[in-house]
Amino acid sequence: MAERMQICNLSENNFEQCTKCSICTTVCPVAAVTTDYPGPKQAGPDGERYRLKDPAYYDKMLKLCLNCKRCEVACPSGVHIADIIQHARMRAGEGKRASLRDTMLANTDLLGTVANLVAPVANVTLGLKPTKMVMHSVMAIDKHRTFPAYSRMKFETWFKRHAAEHQAAYANQVSYFHGCYVNYNFPKLGQDLVKLLNAVGYGVNLLDKEQCCGVALIANGLYKQAKRQARVNAASLRQAVNMDHRTVLTTSSSCTFNLRDEYPSMLGVDTSDVRDSIMLATRFIYRLVDDEKIKLVFKQDYKRRIAYHTACHMQRMGWQLFSIEMMRMIPGLDLQVLDQECCGISGTYGFKRENYERSQAIGATLFKNIADAKVEAVATDCETCKWQIEMSTGLPVENPISVLADALDVDATRRANGL
Amino acid sequence: MAKSKSVCNFAPKLIESIGFATLKTSFMVTDNIYKNEYDVIIIGGGATGAGTARDCALRGLKVLLVERNDYSTGATGRNHGLMHSGARYAVTDGESASECISENMILRRIARHCVEETDGLFITLPEDDLGYQRTFVDACERAGIRADIIDPEEARRIEPAVNPELIGAVRVPDASIDPFRLTVANLLDARLHGADTLNYHEVEGMIVNQNRIEGVKLLNKLTGEHVEVRGRVVVNACGIWGQRIAEMAGAKISMFPARGALLIFGHRVNNMVINRCRKPANADILVPDDTVCVIGTTSDRIPIETVDDMRVTREEVDVLLKEGVKIAPSLATTRIIRAYAGVRPLVASDDDPSGRSISRGIVCLDHAKRDGLEGFITITGGKMMTYRLMGEIATNAVCAKLGNTAPCVTATQPLPGSEDDTLDQRDMSKRYSFGQRAAIGRHGSLAARIEKENDIDNALVCECEGVTVGEIKYAVHQLHVHNLVNLRRRTRVGMGTCQGKLCSCRAASLMGEFRHDVKGAQADLAAFLDERWKGMRPVAWGDTLREAQLTAAIYEGLCGLDQVVDRTGKEDVQ
Amino acid sequence: MKMNTVIMGGGLSGLVCGIALAKRGQRVTIVATGQSTLLFNGGSMELLGYLDGKAVVSPIEAIASLSEEHPYRKIGADRIALLADQAKTLLDDAGIQMEGTAAANHWRVTPMGVAKPAWLTLKSHVHIDDLKQLPCKRLALMCIKGFFDEPNGMLADGLKDMGFEVDRLEFTTDDITALRRSPSEMRASSLAKRLGSNSALQRIADQINQLAGEAEMVLLPSVLGDEDHIHALQSMVNKPLRLVATLPPSVSGNRMQTLLRHYFQMLGGNYLMGDTVVSATLDGDRVTSVTTAKLGDMPLKADQFILATGSFISRGLVADYERVYEPILGLDVDADADREKWTRFGILEPQAYSRFGVKTDNDLRCLKEGKTIQNLRAIGSVLSGHDAIKMGDGTGVSLLSALAAAQSILAAQS
Repeated sequence: MAERMQICNLSENNFEQCTKCSICTTVCPVAAVTTDYPGPKQAGPDGERYRLKDPAYYDKMLKLCLNCKRCEVACPSGVHIADIIQHARMRAGEGKRASLRDTMLANTDLLGTVANLVAPVANVTLGLKPTKMVMHSVMAIDKHRTFPAYSRMKFETWFKRHAAEHQAAYANQVSYFHGCYVNYNFPKLGQDLVKLLNAVGYGVNLLDKEQCCGVALIANGLYKQAKRQARVNAASLRQAVNMDHRTVLTTSSSCTFNLRDEYPSMLGVDTSDVRDSIMLATRFIYRLVDDEKIKLVFKQDYKRRIAYHTACHMQRMGWQLFSIEMMRMIPGLDLQVLDQECCGISGTYGFKRENYERSQAIGATLFKNIADAKVEAVATDCETCKWQIEMSTGLPVENPISVLADALDVDATRRANGL
Repeated sequence: MAKSKSVCNFAPKLIESIGFATLKTSFMVTDNIYKNEYDVIIIGGGATGAGTARDCALRGLKVLLVERNDYSTGATGRNHGLMHSGARYAVTDGESASECISENMILRRIARHCVEETDGLFITLPEDDLGYQRTFVDACERAGIRADIIDPEEARRIEPAVNPELIGAVRVPDASIDPFRLTVANLLDARLHGADTLNYHEVEGMIVNQNRIEGVKLLNKLTGEHVEVRGRVVVNACGIWGQRIAEMAGAKISMFPARGALLIFGHRVNNMVINRCRKPANADILVPDDTVCVIGTTSDRIPIETVDDMRVTREEVDVLLKEGVKIAPSLATTRIIRAYAGVRPLVASDDDPSGRSISRGIVCLDHAKRDGLEGFITITGGKMMTYRLMGEIATNAVCAKLGNTAPCVTATQPLPGSEDDTLDQRDMSKRYSFGQRAAIGRHGSLAARIEKENDIDNALVCECEGVTVGEIKYAVHQLHVHNLVNLRRRTRVGMGTCQGKLCSCRAASLMGEFRHDVKGAQADLAAFLDERWKGMRPVAWGDTLREAQLTAAIYEGLCGLDQVVDRTGKEDVQ
Repeated sequence: MKMNTVIMGGGLSGLVCGIALAKRGQRVTIVATGQSTLLFNGGSMELLGYLDGKAVVSPIEAIASLSEEHPYRKIGADRIALLADQAKTLLDDAGIQMEGTAAANHWRVTPMGVAKPAWLTLKSHVHIDDLKQLPCKRLALMCIKGFFDEPNGMLADGLKDMGFEVDRLEFTTDDITALRRSPSEMRASSLAKRLGSNSALQRIADQINQLAGEAEMVLLPSVLGDEDHIHALQSMVNKPLRLVATLPPSVSGNRMQTLLRHYFQMLGGNYLMGDTVVSATLDGDRVTSVTTAKLGDMPLKADQFILATGSFISRGLVADYERVYEPILGLDVDADADREKWTRFGILEPQAYSRFGVKTDNDLRCLKEGKTIQNLRAIGSVLSGHDAIKMGDGTGVSLLSALAAAQSILAAQS
């Protein structure tokens, strides 16, 4: 035959590569705790054939999907099961308005901006019992949830006041997409990264304009807003990568995954030209060490036992290797790599009253494994996993960058890198 | 073993979990049927036979329909599933075109649950002559078929799967139709009006008294029993196999079997029927059918002796693909789940038995006039989609012989499943589960008969196609299901992309319980998998081969089905 | 990123090879596209089940009758016997307790009630040493109401054919009834997740104790994922309890996969789940690095590489319209060039495609354009010359070729 055909099967999200082996159903954390959800196979490739026939076959229970992507990771056939489900939700949700609660939860940056201004009040207020009850009943945000504390000073403010001016002195330059969590709730992680990178000779820059990556907006069906913000971020990323020739580092696995993969696949905002230059800081640092471009020197007396939890989106990105191997460089660190389980929070999902019990049931296995590991802290690359694990196990949870920064002998490292 | 008294030689066992005991069964005792004398005996359980049975029954005749295999196993179940607007025939055969458009409009009313109103496109590609479009549209107008020339840009918009290089497009009222459902609905209505229907009853000969046919000699293939049933008129509605039946009666018809092969793709790439706007040729129609789409056909004249060999060849697959991608380029990268072939019953004109002059229209032969043989009528030629008209013509001929003057009402009276137009599928998502919705899509208002009161009834057996335990119970009890292949035709079990990977075992277990026959269920399971493989084999590469290997790993490797059922080297017995 | 060995494929063979290497101090990374075909396993390993359609009594002895292309012949019968012992120990170390010996097959009981020859079977699963001397006379077959992935009618029928008296007993508990509310998720693996608590197990035990009557042994579908749960249930039931395989996804197979992965990770191995090797770099007759879909521009470098990517199901081999090929390196493949010859009519006939695989030398090293690649070995289902379906040698080839390859790598290292 003249032209080659049937060389491969191409279908949206590879849905017809599904061999109906049902393996995805063994890893779905939602189907494991509720019979209301039809499971990834039924919600994904099976349902898709019917939805192609008639969109009326959409099942509203698809809203229960966490978008944790564990089904995609388990699939031996490369089917983007979660993407199929998200696209179906997106199509079904077109033109519908999100609730006030969902809008509030989704707008992590808006909430953060207000909360930062009144941080002491906000932290107290959001933590007060009456407030929680109002949120529980009126807003349907579960009363068990503690909102992550808001920092008094935004990371951006700190950076401008205390770090920005001496960054230019370094021979190498990177950009940093800090995300909402670092900006509003936990600037220390950003500060740790700046400390770490400065110690090995890298100056840090913020993006021209950074908006919330929109992962929560997508999860809550606010696609239009997510798309707007994605366009702003895409422009900033392009400026940093294509004009300033800088790698853009991140410290949140979910933001990273969103910028690199969900922007094009979910929102139709193409970031393919800059995708390879957006990466988690752990990957960047690991690579510099691996290529012998930098040296890390660690504190002599450092000794900790930490468990590493692979966040679902981290596993979907396939980058846990870098965080793990980077931490394994720390001589005094006894690192226990936990079996990958979903913690159940999945961004804003677990905050919703209707999901709370499911969310905790989903995380139960992970919490038990953490308890069994007998560690003093947990490391993970995802901030929402951090909230969930801290709330559910009482153990402190740190980003691997903070673990590294904590173990680092900064002065010795600076010297070792000729600074 | 004593000959069984019933068609279904099994009794419902009280299995609580499956709930069969609670179901009202509709077993028919064949003894009564065998003793009956009928006004008319119809041979052939395809759409034409079923449509004739329905028409005769509605006109008050006492009807028996017999089918040697399962219903709709011949050309009825082996075509595109296209409800022609007639446009395809407009240029070459105006009469057929007029018949088509008239029947098309009727079926939209009476068979709503079997029809999907997709509309169709006739596209002109750069390699085609755009001048033909004018000829085509004019011919459509003459035949009474609405044909709107639309801009290629508009065609790309309304049907994104179409070859973007098209230079012309005409929109016509083509549609998609499910022939299995259509046939079953006709049979159900016939039975509702007193007809008896028997599948797996093969005609072995005619009861001939001098120059009059007085009935048929039958073999009950399920029990091995030989019986004779008497009827005042016998109608031969056997499609291509009608030549053989006519010979049994002592009449000669020259049939010219035209074989056509088709490919089924794993999902819909198109939502409108797409045809080529040129003289009919190979693989020039792509039809969206339920959850899949079908490209076809090839067209080859074959010897009549080979009409039972329906295996698709490599060459046929190649032709279908090569031409198919011209209609919708994405077919080149879409998974093919199976290949199948059917035989069109073309009839030579009586004045030219050589076959050079072949009628493509409906042929109704009264053998009394033609061959001096009383009580025997042959209805053949035509198309699946003109089945109703063929039924009407045949019934008119029967009634003329019997002096029945009742008018034909099949053009206006909806089929069972289509009588309720309040069942709006668009608004189903709130009230029904996936399986229930899929069942409504298949059975229309008859889906109300499917039990859904308990969780087990609602449990999915086939996850690809959304077939529940309740639907299987309904099919087994009310739709003449004897084996898994029958079940598939009634419900779509095993028709999804995996071709029955896990569902066939679940369904076989249920059937085994139901029939009280575990060994039989295992043999049936093996036969079913074999039948699925028959269609997969010609396209066994890529994901289809992976699917086959996984199926083998499960049924042979894990389960050892090959150890209990040795079918090595045996041909398909379905 | 530099490793001692990179293994492409994270199923049975990849994991076992990785464990054998990591145990000896190697830095090993496994790249696994997704979950493996262990999830279709019924809780047994088969070394060699059938020869010319007849059940094999002693697999080790039967190796001599295999064709020279068979991986066992390449490894050698003597070495296979030693590796077989090693395999059992390794599985045991991983927490997978199995019974059986390579010297003589026993019989496993399939979900359809067929006795198939097996080498090792999970201790918790029903297996029979000698069909002429059944371990007991009367069985209570516990059938879970509404669970359709165990064809228990066929199972009971098959057990009766073997000579057992079988009481088919249907039961349910609140946990099971609750799960059945889902039209699609009543699977063995879903049951395993719901039946893990002591209270849920006690409810099952109550049903068994109430119904089992005169039976000497109780059979239950394999819907308990954890050895602890099985032991807990056994302690609550007053008769010996054995599990029977179900249709996939297999709970026991999943458990084996998980235990092997744990063990590998405990030994310091990296398991990259959900990533795929897309290409490899060759330098002369050696592979220098492989690139994965997700690690992107950071290839995995190593001294040694293992191809454990499986057969067509796992996409270790790919068939398209025109040819069969190995997708990562384009290695030499044993496969017919004519598509017509890949398959035969009759689904239960021997299918040529199930013997397809990559060509290797006797040290399992792969070939490309006829030349041996020195540091790339193929193991498991991607190997040509055997037929897992018709010969019942799939898991055996996976386990033993994995250990053979590990041995070769370690020997070269020292």
